[in-house]
Formats: sequence, C-alpha cells, structure tokens
Amino acid sequence: MAENILVIGGGPAGLHAAIELAELGVNVSLVERDTFFGGNPKKFKYKYLFPDLQPADNVIGELIKRAESNNNIKKYLSANIESFKEDGKKFSAVIKSSTGSETKTFDSVIVATGFEHFDPATDSKYSYQLFDDVIDIKDLERMMGEGNFTRPSNGKAPKNVAIILCVGSRDRHVGNQYCSRVCCTVSVKQAIELKEHFPETEVYIFYMDIRTYGFYEDLYWKAMEEHDVQIVKGRVAEITSGPDNTVICKGEDTLLRGPFEIPFDMVVLASGMEGGPQSPEMANKLGIELDEHGFLKQENVTLSPFKSNKDGIFLAGACTGPKAIADAIVEGGAAAMNAYIYAKKNS
Amino acid sequence: MANEHNKNSERPVAEKGEHIIARHLIDDDAIKEEKNLVIDGVDVSGRWNTFIETRVDSEFDRSFFGEIQKTVVGSRINRCWQCGMCTASCTVTPLYRRFNPRAFIYMMQLGNLKQLKKYVDVAWRCVGCYKCSQRCPKQVNPAEMMEALALLIKKYFPEEIKSKHQLTIDEEVKAIYEGMILGHGRLDLANLHTSAMRKMGKTTELMSDKDERGAIFKMMKDGRALSVLRLGKPHKWHKSKDAIDNYLRHAGTLEQENN
Ligand SMILES: Cc1cc2nc3c(=O)[nH]c(=O)nc-3n(C[C@H](O)[C@H](O)[C@H](O)COP(=O)(O)OP(=O)(O)OC[C@H]3O[C@@H](n4cnc5c(N)ncnc54)[C@H](O)[C@@H]3O)c2cc1C
Ligand code: SF4
Ligand code: SF4
Ligand code: SF4
Repeated sequence: MAENILVIGGGPAGLHAAIELAELGVNVSLVERDTFFGGNPKKFKYKYLFPDLQPADNVIGELIKRAESNNNIKKYLSANIESFKEDGKKFSAVIKSSTGSETKTFDSVIVATGFEHFDPATDSKYSYQLFDDVIDIKDLERMMGEGNFTRPSNGKAPKNVAIILCVGSRDRHVGNQYCSRVCCTVSVKQAIELKEHFPETEVYIFYMDIRTYGFYEDLYWKAMEEHDVQIVKGRVAEITSGPDNTVICKGEDTLLRGPFEIPFDMVVLASGMEGGPQSPEMANKLGIELDEHGFLKQENVTLSPFKSNKDGIFLAGACTGPKAIADAIVEGGAAAMNAYIYAKKNS
Repeated sequence: MANEHNKNSERPVAEKGEHIIARHLIDDDAIKEEKNLVIDGVDVSGRWNTFIETRVDSEFDRSFFGEIQKTVVGSRINRCWQCGMCTASCTVTPLYRRFNPRAFIYMMQLGNLKQLKKYVDVAWRCVGCYKCSQRCPKQVNPAEMMEALALLIKKYFPEEIKSKHQLTIDEEVKAIYEGMILGHGRLDLANLHTSAMRKMGKTTELMSDKDERGAIFKMMKDGRALSVLRLGKPHKWHKSKDAIDNYLRHAGTLEQENN
C-alpha cells in the first residue's frame, strides 16, 4: 500500500516536495490556502528571477504544471488544516476546502508555509502608503510583472529612484534582527531592470552592507558596471514630501560624513521577509516549535535543517527563515526524502 | 606682516608653520616648532626645525572604549555598527553639520581623542530629542551616548571647554526646554522639530504643503498619530515637576552646572 504524506503550502518548496513524493508513488495531499499554487512568486507576479534573470515562468510555471498533471497529488485550494492530531506514529488531519471537510490519516507531514513580506507601514519613518511614489520591492516586482515601470503618482518615467535596503530587517527597533538575505539581490536586480527600461533614470541604492552573497555578486557588479547604478553608504531616517511632486529622503552619507535631503521621483523600500502569522499558526496546530525570529524551528540548523522538533513532521522553504527559491526547492527535495523514509519505516 | 611678528617677541615662533605651503590643510596640533633647538651642534632654532607630524592614525585605543562602556549612558557602545540612522534622524545635524552622533560614536569606539578634540565646540549640542534613539536599529541609545561624550569632553578637554569655546546654553533652547519639561513632563518632539525648522528658515515646510497635511490626516486615521499622543505624562508627574521647579528656583539657571 502506498504511503500517505501531507504537504502544507503550495509555494516553490511545497510544490517541489509534492512532485518528488508523487514520483516515488506516494499519495500526496497538497494543501494551499490561496486560490492558486506558486506561493509568493506567483502572488506578486515575479517576472524575472535572480540570479540569471530567467523568466519566473520557467521555474514557477513549470513546478505548477508538473504538480497539476500528477495524479498522485490530491490538490486542495482555498484550503486549510482545520484540526490536527497525532495518532501513534501517524497523524490525523481535517482538511477544509471549498469542497468541504475531509479527515485523513498521514504517515508524515511536510510544512512549507513560507513567509510574508514585512509591512513597511509599520515602520513610520518610511512614510509607506502616505505617498504614492513610496513603494516596496514586492510592489515593484508586481508592477514590473505587469509591464509597468512608471511612477504610481503620475504614470511618468521617474527621473531618479532611491532604493533603500534593510527595511524591516536587521533592526531591533522593528523586532527583526536577522538579515532577509534576498532583498539586496532583489534590489540590484530591480535596479538593472529599471535601467534597462529607462536608461535615463538615475538609480541610487542606500545601503549599510550589500549582501549579494556567493554568485549573486555578479548582479551587483553588473548593476554598477553596466548600468551606472550608484551606491550610497548611509541610511534614510525620514521621507517627506518635496517640491514638484517629489519625495525627500533625509539621511546621512556616512562616507562623506554629512546629512542629505534629496528629492526623488520614486522610492523603493527593500522590505524583508517575516515568518508571518502562518508560522505561529502551524506551530500551535502541529505542536512544533517557533524560533526566536518568528519562523519555524529546525531540529538542528546544520545537521537536520529540514526536520522539526517533532518526529514525522518536516520543514521546507522560507517557513524556517529567509531564502531564495533555489534553496526552497532544494529543501523541498530534502524534506520529501526524509518524510518518505519516515513513512516507509512506520507504515 | 613681518613687523608685526617682530613686535610680538614673547611668541615661540612667529606664526606657527606660517611658511608651510598650503598651511590651511594642516592642523595646528600636527605642527611642531621649537624656539630654540640645537641638533648635533647645529642651531636649528625657529622655523628651521618646523616638523609636520604624520597624520596617519597609529593606534586604536580600546582602553577608552572600556571607559565609556563602564558608564551607564555609554554601556551600549559595543553595539554601534555605524549605519548613520542617528545622524540621519538628528534634530541638530542640519543646523551644525559638524555635529554628527554616528561619527562621534565611532571616534569613541576607536579612542580617537585627536579627532574628538576637534569637535569640542559642537559635541555638546545634542538637544536630547531622542529621535536617534527611537530609530537606531541596534538600540545603542545614541542620545545617551552623546551624554557620555559630553562627560568625556569635560574630563579630557577641560581647557578647550573653558578657553576656546564659550559654552553657554542658547537662550532659545533653554526656553523651549523649560517650557516643555515643566509643561508636559517630557520633551515635545513636534515643538523641538518646529523650532529647529524655524531656525533653519524652513518655515514654508511647516504644514503648509497639502501633501504634508494629507499625510497627517492619514496618520490620524490609521492610528499612528494616536500612538504618539497616547504617551501622556510620566507617573506621578507633579512630584518630579515640584522637584524641578524647586531646583530651578534655587539654582536660578540651568547653566549653573556648566560654569
Ligand atoms: C520581492 C521578492 C523578490 C524575490 N525574487 C526572487 C528571485 O528573483 N529569485 C529567487 O530565487 N528568490 C526570490 N525571492 C525569494 C522567494 O520569494 C522565496 O525564496 C520563495 O517564495 C520561498 O518559497 P516557499 O515555498 O518556501 O514560500 P512561499 O513562496 O511563501 O509559499 C508558501 C505557500 O504556502 C501557503 N500557505 C501559507 N500558510 C498556509 C497555511 N496555513 N495553509 C496552507 N497554505 C499556506 C502560501 O499561500 C504560499 O502559497 C524573492 C523574494 C522577495 C521578497
Ligand atoms: S539582504 Fe541586504 S537588504 Fe536584505 S536584510 Fe540583508 S543586508 Fe539588508
Ligand atoms: S548609534 Fe545606532 S543609529 Fe547611530 S550609527 Fe550606531 S547603530 Fe546606527
Ligand atoms: S537626541 Fe541628540 S543626537 Fe539624538 S537626534 Fe536628538 S539632538 Fe540628535
């Protein structure tokens, strides 16, 4: 008899885990709370992915296609886990979806509920949602996905754009001390895309550190060397309205040692990643642990990062911390293997 | 010129380093001149022995860091990673560009007294608005670090404080302080900000713009403004107020301490 495995969350991590298990002949139940699969990349219409600027459809579209065409995967959309309990070495869950409630028994479980974007409105210094031309990287990602690169306030090409890094990350004041890992790379990628679209637009990146780790560094070099993107070392502490429908960024240039107040046509906040409400929700429902950063806790961050602290429940993707799609996919595969081994041993 | 120098004979040398080309690029402290100096029997008195010290920093003095860290106000000095959010937020920096809390903290971290000394005239100008501390991502509490700095300057550069820079509290700042603290029990950021803007001559920016008004309306609506107003007065404020009143009556002025 085939194993039954539950995968919660249909983003890159969950999709990949489900596909791998299905190919092993496992009966997979894939539960997604949204009306579609693909996770955040789909929701915010990412169009081109770092590091190689390939169309997101190559990755996300492909994963969705493979999952949808596989009959070993039972798909639940607009769904959630209504209740969950341990049943010996197995698990029993009630899945509620648009088609009603269903109670099922599983040999093991993979949690891949991902992340939420930090909401910059909660940090008032950035005046997000007060001025139309102050947006964040997910807004810009979605705008560019829809082919729109212009200023939200007037639909015109921006003369200059300020990209502000580390919004909602590395900040005790907002409660997130960690680095969100992807926002630097997303920002240099977006700077390149903006410059490719509007070569006349000046793009400035305000940074504390630029963390385009590993090969992502290539994009950073490209942004500067091929597109004249200018980096400025310093932080912006206030955004106010300026003359001629601009927004003024008030900050310090720490290298020149002095304050600046410069009007920009558009400001893009590199908001980071958070565990979101789904992480504590999963922790409560499944009886697993949260870590001190608000993500799900890994059994051993180095030895077994895809295991939760509870036997039979595995973790994959951004639900355990900020990461890129490639990492989410790798972890989906690793969690699938572990969930399969656990199921095999106990069924 | 030459005549003047001759008249002024008690000076060790005419004018320190006056014959150095591009003299303006070199700090006073970096120039060494001896009135009378004989080296190996050769008299090199006066301008002949002029020597410019290297301007390369040759040490990081961590003993100083330790000293700051031991104080209550400076205990978090090890947290600062030089992001500049404090300077970017600062009420005073736009008025005195040389007042730079981030740079001062860095100088304190590295024990660079030589640099700090150059800022004795502005280093005490923090108005205690705490905007920096509110925004500092590492919760260094830079506002209080400025207090540590002030204490330190008093300790290490007492002469500079007395002679070179007549440190007096600006009457206007004093009035704002007394008004705010006695009236509201805390510093009123809006008031401080407004007076700073007025000083800079930025009167048009004060609420005149329709966007700015729109922003305020939005902040009222989503509750952000309320969270500021909700702060209220400190617990049992009247007791503290009486104490301050009392102090002011006896001391006469807030400046007493400084003199
Ligand atoms: C602006 C931005 C741009 C980015 N661009 C790139 C890029 O170009 N290249 C790259 O490699 N990475 C990029 N990333 C990172 C990428 O978004 C993540 O690595 C990836 O989305 C993580 O996948 P995931 O499946 O773990 O999580 P998610 O994408 O968050 O998917 C989680 C899924 O779980 C679902 N879910 C949540 N809670 C529940 C629940 N309780 N029940 C059921 N379902 C639930 C969600 O609806 C979602 O569909 C970017 C990130 C940001 C913020
Ligand atoms: S990836 Fe870059 S922008 Fe994002 S938190 Fe880390 S340093 Fe800041
Ligand atoms: S005191 Fe805080 S805000 Fe200022 S530079 Fe240091 S870390 Fe940044
Ligand atoms: S408390 Fe002092 S250093 Fe901090 S912002 Fe106000 S004036 Fe500047």
